[in-house]
Amino acid sequence: MVAASSTDDAALPSSGGTVLSVLKKPSVIPGFGLTMGFTLAYLGLIVLLPLAALAVKAAGLGWAGFWNAVLTPRVLAAFEISFGLSLLAAAINAVFGFVVAWVLVRYRFPGAKIVDALVDLPFALPTAVAGIALSALYAPNGWIGQLLMDWFGLKVAFTPLGIAIALTFIGLPFVVRTVQPILQDLPPEEEEAAASLGATRWQSFRRVVFPSLFPALLTGFALAFARGVGEYGSVIFIAGNMPGVSEIVPLLIVIKLEQYDYAGAAAVATLMLAASFLLLLILNLLQAWMRSRHAR
Amino acid sequence: MAIQVSGITKQFGHYRALDQVDLEVRSGELLALLGPSGSGKTTLLRIMAGLESADSGSLQLHGEEALGLSPRERQVGFVFQHYALFRHMTVFDNVAFGLKVRPRAQRFGRSEIKRRVMELLELVQLAHFADRYPAQLSGGQRQRVALARALAIEPKVLLLDEPFGALDAKVRKELRRWLRKLHDDIHITSVFVTHDQEEALELADRVVVMSQGRIEQVGSPADVYDHPASAFVYEFLGQVNRFDCTVADGVARVANGALAIPTENGVQGEAIAYVRPHDLGLSPSAGGPGRVSGIHVVGPDARVEVDLAGLTLEAEMDRERLSFLGLRPGDRCAVHIDRARVFPRR
Repeated sequence: MVAASSTDDAALPSSGGTVLSVLKKPSVIPGFGLTMGFTLAYLGLIVLLPLAALAVKAAGLGWAGFWNAVLTPRVLAAFEISFGLSLLAAAINAVFGFVVAWVLVRYRFPGAKIVDALVDLPFALPTAVAGIALSALYAPNGWIGQLLMDWFGLKVAFTPLGIAIALTFIGLPFVVRTVQPILQDLPPEEEEAAASLGATRWQSFRRVVFPSLFPALLTGFALAFARGVGEYGSVIFIAGNMPGVSEIVPLLIVIKLEQYDYAGAAAVATLMLAASFLLLLILNLLQAWMRSRHAR
Repeated sequence: MAIQVSGITKQFGHYRALDQVDLEVRSGELLALLGPSGSGKTTLLRIMAGLESADSGSLQLHGEEALGLSPRERQVGFVFQHYALFRHMTVFDNVAFGLKVRPRAQRFGRSEIKRRVMELLELVQLAHFADRYPAQLSGGQRQRVALARALAIEPKVLLLDEPFGALDAKVRKELRRWLRKLHDDIHITSVFVTHDQEEALELADRVVVMSQGRIEQVGSPADVYDHPASAFVYEFLGQVNRFDCTVADGVARVANGALAIPTENGVQGEAIAYVRPHDLGLSPSAGGPGRVSGIHVVGPDARVEVDLAGLTLEAEMDRERLSFLGLRPGDRCAVHIDRARVFPRR
């Protein structure tokens, strides 16, 4: 995977010219050359260069050294925690973010604008602040943590459950903000048509409204997931950070850095990057496939 | 009687969209609701479908009070101006929708649904497009899918809201003829809304002319065109010359007596006279009161503008007639009017 990504990086600049001429179709919109050139240069500088440097650093370990650094129980456990809990949190957000978007678009109620603004707060709040606030709430002696402990014997803070809560908190805006505009633009006629054809409210939601929103929901899910995988600040305060139990990949990378294991850190980061890229690519392809069926 | 509307009133804020409307739709007829925008025609149609509520009045569908029923209980087929097809479903699934959402006890089996849908697609001549998505169809094809979808539930009445409004002129005309033929074949009670008088007059068995939330006139196309019941209907249907006149002893005098037209109804005093351009006769006459101010030839027809003592009149005739008369711009001419409707000035 590393080898593949580094050859891709190397191949891009040299084949740029031919790619351009292959991609360019006759168009009335001017400026393809300029904007495409700018886009490639910009993405190269801002995105690809740092990532390539990362891959180069990891490549310093050699093939065997790389897998040795990565295939340890601690690293694999961290991957499981990071990706598993990010998927879980994104799924939770997909459900409840959808509900929030639905309420904000479909109903008029006093304070709607305030609720609307609240949704964006997880974007703006420093993640460390969120992490500290959440761990204070969910700690065994915190407001909510205490109740959960007394009633259900449930320990939230300093367990994987705590990580899931932190990731859910920071991922919520992504789902709401991707679903909301699509829901807003949904023509009422389609639902009216469904009703006059004999569909119940639920049938019209399940068969007409939801399928129209699903691509947007998937985008929100993917964004929330990507954000969750990369999240560091809020998680480390609430996670407890026990190796193999509640230690996330980004934290593991930092730990390796603090131990001056730069190549090892780069190797873990490269694998993480590749895995994230693969998952996002799959989500994007899935979405493109769905959109292509009813593009307009 | 398929649909009986009695005293329906609908208010949007301060705006009265429908004002005590009464209307009967006969079984099997194709009825047009015709009027300018804001006349309440679409609101009336949506109330019939249950997509809009009425403030007061009653609505009976086949003898059954329907105002309290939800759209899905009314068994009414509705066709929208912008098709409102389900974008993420194929043509087949769009048409099958109404059959698939039925309660389990009334639902047909898979093969029966397929048979019915294909039969409907055959009817609208789109059978080979069953697997396409709406985005892959032209406007006319989409509207035919929408029609098949509405017919799939075997509705008691079919309601169409500006069904050709989003189509270009040529497709509109084709689809209009096609719909008329379809209606002649299946005889489903249908009501369609339009602001296009030509569409209403060509397509409908009866035309309902609406204005400002009220019904101005109901009648056959020939009836409303030849015998408009009000000044509004006269002006709304077809081209018309409108001029002020004074009526005394059954004769309307126009433009200080330059023209005198006999009238039938007993209107007296200040009035407004209406004359259709093709009811206005011209003949060359060196000392005539009129002067030809312009001639426009449109296809086989000619429109001749005549200046009569400061009034601009328009006459319509075919090109042969025009060349027979030999009128040219600037010529003087006599004006003959056989028919004029006079309404008291309000």
